[in-house]
Amino acid sequence: MNSTTASKALKALLPGDFSNETGRRAHLAEIDASCRVPVLFFFLSGLLWLLIGTLFALLASIKLHTPEFLAGQEWLTFGRVRTVHLNTVVYGFASQTAIAVAIWLMCRLCRVPLIASGVITVANLFYNIGLTVGIIGIFAGDSTGIEWLEIPKYATPIIFVSYALIAVWMIIIFRLRTERHLYVSQWYLLAAVLWFPWIYGTAQVMLLVEPVRGVVQAAINWWFAHNVLGLWFTPIGLAAIYYFIPKVIGRPIHSYYLSVLGFWSLALFYNWNGMHHLVGGPLPAWMITVSIVASVMMLIPVFAVAINHHFTLVGHFGKLKHSPTLRFIVFGAVSYTLTSLQGVLSALRSFSEVSHFTHHTVAHAHLGMYAFFGMVMFGSMYYILPRITQREWPSNRLISVHFWASALGIILYVVPLSLAGFQQGRLMNNAAVKFLDVVQFTLPWLQLRTLAGCLLALAHLAFVVHVGWLLLRMLEPYRKPVLNILTGGEIPATTEK
Amino acid sequence: MPVISLILLGSVLLLPAAALLSLRWATRSGQFTLMNRAALLPFDDEEPIGQATDQILGDNRR
Repeated sequence: MNSTTASKALKALLPGDFSNETGRRAHLAEIDASCRVPVLFFFLSGLLWLLIGTLFALLASIKLHTPEFLAGQEWLTFGRVRTVHLNTVVYGFASQTAIAVAIWLMCRLCRVPLIASGVITVANLFYNIGLTVGIIGIFAGDSTGIEWLEIPKYATPIIFVSYALIAVWMIIIFRLRTERHLYVSQWYLLAAVLWFPWIYGTAQVMLLVEPVRGVVQAAINWWFAHNVLGLWFTPIGLAAIYYFIPKVIGRPIHSYYLSVLGFWSLALFYNWNGMHHLVGGPLPAWMITVSIVASVMMLIPVFAVAINHHFTLVGHFGKLKHSPTLRFIVFGAVSYTLTSLQGVLSALRSFSEVSHFTHHTVAHAHLGMYAFFGMVMFGSMYYILPRITQREWPSNRLISVHFWASALGIILYVVPLSLAGFQQGRLMNNAAVKFLDVVQFTLPWLQLRTLAGCLLALAHLAFVVHVGWLLLRMLEPYRKPVLNILTGGEIPATTEK
Repeated sequence: MPVISLILLGSVLLLPAAALLSLRWATRSGQFTLMNRAALLPFDDEEPIGQATDQILGDNRR
């Protein structure tokens, strides 16, 4: 009885009676307009954190080959600068754009407008307050020292509560859906919003609130850190790919069956993977072995996704020329396959003996977080922003600059550093080579990385300028867009003033 | 210690239970039948199959 009352109360918040019975479904433009303010807030704050994160990435990168650079102040030392970079791009940029994309996708696939969008906007505000407090805390030297969980514990509850609010809202949208069948993207989105609070909450309690002792800390640390990628970013990235590739080329996914298999096998195997970060560590060998086995099993979902996306795209590669979304998304999808295969390889003991504690791991992390996830988020923003603002992208040139600078930048980052990192590992394992010689060997590669970082910074600046330009167009009087960004038609007169 | 035991127990019992329940729900509500229908969900009358979107670069501009 309660659930029907609650559901009725929620339905009353919708701007119309959307249900299977009445047959009235929300127009695409109506849904986009309902998401405008919160999604825009998440995108813009995400991009602001991206710029901050890029700046500190460059500082950290320069410090690795020129250690005396800005070494005078303790808040600008490598340990803090690098940590600030990681936390701003992961929790500032990646998570916030992920939330925005997730909300928009969920509304579109459920075919309902976003209700009480003010709640999401308030959650966004508190999320950013929590994150700012956390980043200032890291600068002040309060980092917890646990990788991916460095934000001090006085800031994390604010982040957690605002996050929980967003997760609840996602589930409410889902409850109100007018479409009985679920699309594979919805599986991924729902799973991600439920998995993240679980891993974040568990790791917080067991490492910060009531810390466990000894090597169990390392086990939980890497269980968490790997699952942030596997159970939070990966599902949202895949949800976006599964929506945008069919949507842009106008052709359904090659095999829906394969996509469902991919989802359930990811759910089954990914959460075991974390211990492969501790190969060679003082942990029970069976824990690491189980993790390696699960890492290899990840080949199933990875191939399911790769085969599916490839066969969906076959015959439509020409559309890459015309669609910025498709370019970024396909770049991301290919990177997902590559980073997953590299991850499987790195999980093997024989490989990890060499690659562990080298720049190879850093390159791998960037292949996953940037070349896969970051690029998929950029692609999604190229699709979503014109639709929620009802304005066209002003400049093709800026899109090209963004795409080529980020694509070439991340290739220049990942490929040389992967190879050099592997060689670094071989040298370190060779007792005849002095450690300082190994350090000397890495120097030119680290300088090359700074160059790649500059390209990425250029790409981000081009994108932020472009988004700013798009928003300025909102100040101009509304003109009917010339291009087919609004193929679904205009916003109906009832919702547009 | 009690908090941690609770979390561990909760994780071990609740999560697989939730996964199994959602699998059961999915099977019963027919999510795994009519697979082809689910694949059509991103499309509708406004943007039907066969209609490409986001073709904004190159010759398509103005």
